[in-house]
Amino acid sequence: MSKFHLVRRADARIWRTLLFCFIGIVISLTIGAVILWVLGIKPWEYYGKMFTIGLIGNKYGYKSIEGLLKIFVPLLITSLALSLSFKMRFWNIGGEGEFLIGAIAASIIAFHSTGTPNFVTVLLMCLAAMISSGIIGVAVAALKVKFNTNETLMTLMINYIMLYVIRYIGETKADWNFFLREDSKRAKFGTFPDSAVMGGIHFGKFNLLWSVIIAIALTVIIYIYLKYTKHGYEISVVGDSSATAKYAGMSVGKIVLRTMFISSALIGLAAALTVSAAGTISDTITNGVGWTGIIVAWLGKLNVPAVFVISILISILQYGCQAAATQYPAIDINFADLLQGIILFSVLVADFAANFKIARKEEAKNA
Amino acid sequence: MEYAIELKGITKSFGPVAANKNINLSLAKGEILALLGENGSGKTTLMNMLSGIYMPDSGSIFINGEKARINSPEDSGRLGIGMVHQHFKLVERFTALENIRIGMRGNGRFIHGKDVRKKIEDTAAKFGFEIDLDKVVANMAVSEKQTLEILKVLCYGAKIIILDEPTAVLTVQEIDKLFAVLRAMKAEGHSIIIITHKLNEVMAISDRVAVLRHGEYIDTVVTAETDEKALTELMVGRKITLNIDRPVIEKTHPLLEIRDLTVKNDEGATAIDHINFYIRGGEILGVAGIAGSGQKELCEAIAGLRKIEEGKMIHEGESIVGMSPKKILEHGISMSFIPEDRLGMGLAPSLSITDNMILKNYNEAKGPFVDRKSAREEAQKVIERLEVVTPSTETPVRRLSGGNVQKVLLGREIKSGPNVLITAYPVRGLDINSSYTIYNILNDEKKKGTGILFVGEDLDVMLALCDKIMVICHGKLQGVVNSEHTTKEEIGLMMTGTLNIVNKEGKTDGIAKDSAFTSDEEDKSV
Amino acid sequence: MLDVFTLFLFNIIVYNIPLLYGTTGEIMIEKSGSLNLGVEGTMAIGAVVGYLAGAKTNSLFVACIVSFIAAGLVGLLFSFLTVTLQANQNVTGLTITTFGVAFYYFIGNALSNSKGGWPMFSGAEESATKAFYEQSQALHIPVLSDIPFFGKALFSHGILVYVAILIAILMSVYFKKTVPGLKLRAIGENPAAADSLGVNVTLYKYLHIIIGSGIMGIGGLYMGLNMGGTFEGSNCWINGYGWISIALVIFANWSPAKAILGTFIFGFFNTLRVQNAALAYAFPNALGWLTKIPSHFFSALPFIITLIVLIASSLSKKKKSGEPQAIGRNYYREDR
Repeated sequence: MSKFHLVRRADARIWRTLLFCFIGIVISLTIGAVILWVLGIKPWEYYGKMFTIGLIGNKYGYKSIEGLLKIFVPLLITSLALSLSFKMRFWNIGGEGEFLIGAIAASIIAFHSTGTPNFVTVLLMCLAAMISSGIIGVAVAALKVKFNTNETLMTLMINYIMLYVIRYIGETKADWNFFLREDSKRAKFGTFPDSAVMGGIHFGKFNLLWSVIIAIALTVIIYIYLKYTKHGYEISVVGDSSATAKYAGMSVGKIVLRTMFISSALIGLAAALTVSAAGTISDTITNGVGWTGIIVAWLGKLNVPAVFVISILISILQYGCQAAATQYPAIDINFADLLQGIILFSVLVADFAANFKIARKEEAKNA
Repeated sequence: MEYAIELKGITKSFGPVAANKNINLSLAKGEILALLGENGSGKTTLMNMLSGIYMPDSGSIFINGEKARINSPEDSGRLGIGMVHQHFKLVERFTALENIRIGMRGNGRFIHGKDVRKKIEDTAAKFGFEIDLDKVVANMAVSEKQTLEILKVLCYGAKIIILDEPTAVLTVQEIDKLFAVLRAMKAEGHSIIIITHKLNEVMAISDRVAVLRHGEYIDTVVTAETDEKALTELMVGRKITLNIDRPVIEKTHPLLEIRDLTVKNDEGATAIDHINFYIRGGEILGVAGIAGSGQKELCEAIAGLRKIEEGKMIHEGESIVGMSPKKILEHGISMSFIPEDRLGMGLAPSLSITDNMILKNYNEAKGPFVDRKSAREEAQKVIERLEVVTPSTETPVRRLSGGNVQKVLLGREIKSGPNVLITAYPVRGLDINSSYTIYNILNDEKKKGTGILFVGEDLDVMLALCDKIMVICHGKLQGVVNSEHTTKEEIGLMMTGTLNIVNKEGKTDGIAKDSAFTSDEEDKSV
Repeated sequence: MLDVFTLFLFNIIVYNIPLLYGTTGEIMIEKSGSLNLGVEGTMAIGAVVGYLAGAKTNSLFVACIVSFIAAGLVGLLFSFLTVTLQANQNVTGLTITTFGVAFYYFIGNALSNSKGGWPMFSGAEESATKAFYEQSQALHIPVLSDIPFFGKALFSHGILVYVAILIAILMSVYFKKTVPGLKLRAIGENPAAADSLGVNVTLYKYLHIIIGSGIMGIGGLYMGLNMGGTFEGSNCWINGYGWISIALVIFANWSPAKAILGTFIFGFFNTLRVQNAALAYAFPNALGWLTKIPSHFFSALPFIITLIVLIASSLSKKKKSGEPQAIGRNYYREDR
């Protein structure tokens, strides 16, 4: 038996956590730099390109910002939605599946929208997506509450079932399949009529999509929801101790169902905004946000402002990799995923180091 | 005499609280020693030092005459000490044999290795156990599980066996069986320490009795030379006069009346068995009993957190049976229970004091938002009034020290102005000063006309603080006594099940003369 | 006509054995009470590192050892984060998958774009990987391989097919019959009870997570070899088999022996997807309808079946499920 022993620090200092996490990120980037260097690429030049997402010396810079925001919006909303359920210790890892359900529902509206006004169409798309994704979330939550079915594994299965559903739609030529282009011999997803494509506010050439504004507004709303409303209060009590919640007279099952509906519906909303902004649907429309969102939510410790900031950083990482790939063909988008993984691992270690200290065993015993 | 265990000058403190003070204890080879003491007298701490869970701060342990250092459960096992915990440590889905095999050394690498079954069966036969080795633990009755636990330590070759309250979960017949096994073990030369509160059992099974009180070793007596009364006196000690106020208030009609209440515990055994009692406004009714006599289940039943098997509960003329916890709370009954870990129930440890203040009434605020402004004011008030030591109202409860956590909990319970306050172990783990603060708070509530049910551990405190004390043993009411006219010994005898005065002298304890139960109401619900 | 069936059976085994590696590896980990969602990533890392080592040394044996070690190191990372640092298992596992798959593509792209290029896997005379290639090809087992129909279908496989089945059988014996296996299961069921009986919970968890991950790694290597060892920028060798393995663990009710059966059942649907046309062509009347079923349905079937099994088993009153009771929760012993 070892003489030393880990003890939770009595005082949690925010600066200490931040400092340790910062060190963790620096170490991760250093590991990334070593990898680049081994491949014969000058790390600082690459990082320079990556973090400026190809803005510098680029007269089409506004395109870069638009591209970045297209990655950012779904990631942000999904991460926030997942944080809601994680805060309740409900392991909804079905972000991918819920996103796809929402995307399909929104597309059904979109493909039938010729003639309806743009605003109405997009609103209907959002509603359809939110309801259909929300229903799946509630179904999973109900099984969990009623029969204690493992929600992690259930949502995982849904992800893959939905993946094959969308592939089926995208690869099957048939009369009923309005998702596909009619003029193409090969099975190919069609583009939405103009009525279903999201507009935005133009600043010169730069087009600020409505979805960006919606996402930022949502962040504020979710922040307020979690922090100041009764619902948010209930979520934090259930997540902290469901025994206490029951003792206080809360109906835990109802709270779980409600929160899972909101969580999944928000992911559906993210999907609707994404397909509307893209003007089409595809089997890669999720861009992995269901997975990345989990990492973001965790890195942000389920705290809304932190999740917001980390969503920006991860988007920059991902978009920056894409942008830099034009000049460094040896490095592609996978470098971003690689780096993302290393960052999460080091932040997990850093977080632990910030909260625990090593103490002599005898001392610990008497404490 | 040859000793299996000798403890010399054992002292163990947890922070400022001394759990064991200079304890000397000896266990002779081949004897059954009963270890007697009230809750919190340090029995379990002492035994945990023998089983390697804690290490003593000072003092020495001799096993079979040799000085020993017990650093871990493995060391303890190697020295031939086996402990049967009160809470079984069994893998529910394994068979009896598999459970035993996990910790068995030798006999090859296979579960059904050479002689494994034979060895276990032989051990079982030697001590007269009846056990189906292929039965899955999940399908076993409590007594079977306990048999398995004892068989387990015997199979590991333990010569010294410690049983922590083994009879607490057993029926009378099962206890007889257990005692037969213990005697068989003794005949085989095993030395046994049995922790129990029940004096009749002590008299029946033990050779000698060692008594602890408030962490101190009092005496060891030979069972044959003593009786239950003498033992009770040793256990509870002389009455200590405490300087706790007991203001006399004019009592109101019964606020809460309980009739024939029967409740089961988590394992499905009867925890509360047809209990009657009532609380008037302006009085503190103490609940005395050995730990695990059904106190927790009683509190939970009243608060609506546990299903009631049978019986009636009337609060201000209205039945609260079947009401949701929320409804009962709105009705004016507030319950706070300090569990052993002090945090599990009633508080959300990661949330701030402010947020914990509104746990039960956050829903009263109008609109969708939580009213943190008044919550913060309330938190501030509680902090000031109860002298909670905290950096701010926004500090998570987890970071407060034990006493302050309890003040927060109690502060919240009284701030809603309940007319019945149920509080279980409110001073658990607190130092003297904090305890007095809590007693004052309770007395203030009493002066306001609140009826208080005080579930406590320390008899001296209860005698000083409570107006009346109801004593329960094994979920059964043993009687209700007036604190002015009773003695510690009397309560001690009732707690241990030796004395029952419910139907003494033509009266029936626990039923109010001016009961709100009318006779036709009783007929209706029968 | 018989050929179609022979080939069908043969393909079930050849293309789905990686599921058995992934599943047995994951069962070993889950039996210790840990849920590792990083199967896909662990397999990917084992595959790419093992393959490169094999190509370099021209030896299948080295390839297997290296992929076992590489994947085992991933297991070590998972154990360190979740057992020692008490990090969340879901998040750690998913990140391992993201990381592992990215690692696979990253190494693959980097090598493909380098001077030497991606090492080819070929049995041609002048090939540098001739021995490696040949060692991984089907073995000819005297007598057995020559049995009509079954000889080709069951006994004409590469060594790694038999190793997988052997691992599953050994693991089944390990869990059912041996004391360390018993202790491991006790940890997965009730770590506190195991701890109180002197079982070193931390050591057992580390060891079994590492070995389980290593087994997955060999499964990844097998997949790579099955794909002819060619790196494609668009499709990962593992191709979702890690996720199917997680599903299969549930389907097999956490039993390595049932995992063999489960592999063949999932494999059956998988092969039906690939060979539905061939079957329909061979038996236009009896099996012609097969072409009408979209291949996606067969792909999704393992997940659909597992979802149903998952829900059904939680609905049933009988708690016969093999799911370890302490799964997904980290064990933290109070101060001692």
